[in-house]
Amino acid sequence: MIAVTLQRNKCIGCNYCFEIAPDMFRMSTKDGKSILVNGEDKRGFATVRVHDEYEDKANQCKEVCPVKIIKVHQCKVKK
Amino acid sequence: MQKIELMAPCGNWESMRAAVMAGADSVYFGVEQMNMRARATANFTVDDLKEIGEYCNSHNVRTYLTLNTIVYDHDLSIVKTLISAVKEHNITAVIAADQAVLNNARTAGVEVHISTQLNVTNLETVKFYALFADVMVLSRELSLTQVRKITDGISKEDVRGPSGNLIEIEIFGHGALCMAVSGKCYLSLHSNNSSANRGACVQNCRRTYTVIDNESGNELEIDNQYIMSPKDLCTIYFLDQVADSGVKVLKIEGRGRAPEYVKTTIETYREAIDALQNGTYSQEKVKGWMERLESVYNRGFWSGYYLGQKMGEWHDGSGSKATQKKVYIAKGAHYYPKPQIAEFLVEAQKIKKGDKILITGPTTGVIEMELDEIYVNGQPAEEAVKGDQLTFKCDRIRTTDKLYKMIPNPDV
Ligand code: SF4
Repeated sequence: MIAVTLQRNKCIGCNYCFEIAPDMFRMSTKDGKSILVNGEDKRGFATVRVHDEYEDKANQCKEVCPVKIIKVHQCKVKK
Repeated sequence: MQKIELMAPCGNWESMRAAVMAGADSVYFGVEQMNMRARATANFTVDDLKEIGEYCNSHNVRTYLTLNTIVYDHDLSIVKTLISAVKEHNITAVIAADQAVLNNARTAGVEVHISTQLNVTNLETVKFYALFADVMVLSRELSLTQVRKITDGISKEDVRGPSGNLIEIEIFGHGALCMAVSGKCYLSLHSNNSSANRGACVQNCRRTYTVIDNESGNELEIDNQYIMSPKDLCTIYFLDQVADSGVKVLKIEGRGRAPEYVKTTIETYREAIDALQNGTYSQEKVKGWMERLESVYNRGFWSGYYLGQKMGEWHDGSGSKATQKKVYIAKGAHYYPKPQIAEFLVEAQKIKKGDKILITGPTTGVIEMELDEIYVNGQPAEEAVKGDQLTFKCDRIRTTDKLYKMIPNPDV
């Protein structure tokens, strides 16, 4: 599993993450910023755990975001 | 001579209070991501609009919200939200570029000003936008003769905006210039995926470049590697000609600049405009004004295209040519209103009697002064060092304030 994080208050609504991963991101029609689908919000940082197969897509989003607010982490697996 | 409105850039509360105190007639600012400084860390939010409206209206300062990025479909609802907030909180107007914003604002009965992004360069275009807007900023690429032609045309042909008044023409008076036509630049988008037209310019143009001819492999000899970085615009030394061109509003650039920049620039242009008004504008005074403008952030000055130069003038360094710079010293600790004593906690460096200081904060704005008398831990002293409790007589300060020492910039 990987964890994707979005710090959405800094989003400039450029649409690129949504363009790459429409099943992971959505553009809010309310405030024009990106929303992390199924993200759990903790003090402005939304996080979602997704399967490893999404890693490439998530990393592309991370790369493409002009304000660098998308982060991708490997989740620690408990043995 | 007609009165010119002086319009100040405000990126945060510090700058806004500094601008109002320094005598600005109007202020412009952005909120959220829908403005050309979306990347800036400290933008206002929708919730600030109420206080901005109240504060500025109580000081008789007009307020303009910049809503001038390109707009996508997913932005349409935040555009509407912002426009209704503008109306609700008595913000004077929105500065717009996209037709969706023009249309929405007009429908809501909100005054519209045309942004530089729309690149207005002729009378026909002015007439077209007059259907929506009362004030228009002209393209920075025009000469004053071209500006004059447009302002003359407006009065001759009686071009009026939705308010019923003649269209007012605004131009940029001071601050950074962009190498692209009216800021329509794709460099940042190409290199960093970061669109300048969504307020996220990474300022590629301010770096150094070498130019190599791929066919021959020859490197072009360029005596200055800042090949895309224009110097800053300054009009104070021909402000009389600016006024003669029929311009009604002088806009100062710099929403990304420090509050003391806003204070110095606005104070200086305020004096210059007032001097024009009462007939005391002189080259002697210009000298003093230039010195003050040079003391804050600048890349060197030139007159832009207003006087009709054919070639741009390019900046030859990476940073500012400001003659002064600030060094952080202390944070606000307490204020004793009766004896008017400010207390600061020194956190870095040291500060001496006689030093020039700068205090800034979101409520205080900007205070600049010289320290004639200081006390350390309650005793009269010559200097204060890290850890000391520093007190001196001063206007009201707050615990959110920071104190800086102003020193000559060693790099210029
Ligand atoms: S790429 Fe970044 S700035 Fe652009 S919409 Fe997505 S999160 Fe927002």
